[in-house]
Amino acid sequence: MAEPPREPIKYVDALVRLPYHYVAGDCRARYLRALKDKKILGARCSETGKVFVPPLVNSPESLAPADEFVEVADRGVVTTFCIVNIPVIGRALELPYVVASIALDGADISIHALIQECKPEEVRMGMRVEAVWKPDGEREGSHEDILHFRPTGEPDMPREGFINRL
Amino acid sequence: MAEIPPLHQEVVLEFPYKHSTGPVIGRFLAGLKEQKKIWGQRVRGQGVVVPPLGYSELDGSAGDEWVEVQPTGTVTAVAVVHEPIEGLHPFTTPFAFVLVRLDGADTALAHVVKDDVARLRVGTRVEAVWAPDDQRQGTIRDIACFRIVAT
Repeated sequence: MAEPPREPIKYVDALVRLPYHYVAGDCRARYLRALKDKKILGARCSETGKVFVPPLVNSPESLAPADEFVEVADRGVVTTFCIVNIPVIGRALELPYVVASIALDGADISIHALIQECKPEEVRMGMRVEAVWKPDGEREGSHEDILHFRPTGEPDMPREGFINRL
Repeated sequence: MAEIPPLHQEVVLEFPYKHSTGPVIGRFLAGLKEQKKIWGQRVRGQGVVVPPLGYSELDGSAGDEWVEVQPTGTVTAVAVVHEPIEGLHPFTTPFAFVLVRLDGADTALAHVVKDDVARLRVGTRVEAVWAPDDQRQGTIRDIACFRIVAT
């Protein structure tokens, strides 16, 4: 035969696999261990007093040490959010669902979390939410110890209360 | 801050890519799988290009004349990997990445040599080792590796 087969191979699989060995470090380990006890820790900047969650060693803003651990609330306010309509491999959630930035009470920046137990169209900036934890005995000191956040039913927080805590 | 025990976690990121080959490399790969033949294309100004691009890199003209080349060739570059990384490299024992100018070709094909890497030099003669018939899937690894030709 004077030429290759007419029918081409259309695809080749190319799996990229990156195995990491992650070491949390002192600061992050303390934060993760506290989740096991239903506590969320932040770190207070020694210069500005701002509280970062998860805790950081130094403030990225003032560069001063943030060496005081403080417990923040497991409830807070939705500062911004997005409605997810596209499935992600490895995340078996019913579409659409909401991922939000949440400023916990006592924290000066937001964490990312899933919002459940309400319709996506009901989620709004300023909405008050609370953490839903895994039951006692099942928490293992990981972000997944918080299953999701849900609305508390409290009145919304006015814009000025969260606009600088995104 | 008081000392606390370190916290470890094994994390694996996987990106399961599926590359679309296109009509030229697609037929090159079909030739490996179904015919155990290595095909190149005659391209204006470049001779026989393996693996084929489908066009001339000099003037962009189409390279649509298929030419079969030999499974034997000459090494034009060597890079020995002494400490392979599992999951990233094709072998777990020391091997070499090589460029091979196959007999009948005017460009070099990137591939691997599994054994005898200490003897590899630029100019060493090598030959293709095919994957078994039931294991060829239409990838460049249908040529399992190259080996040094016994002299």
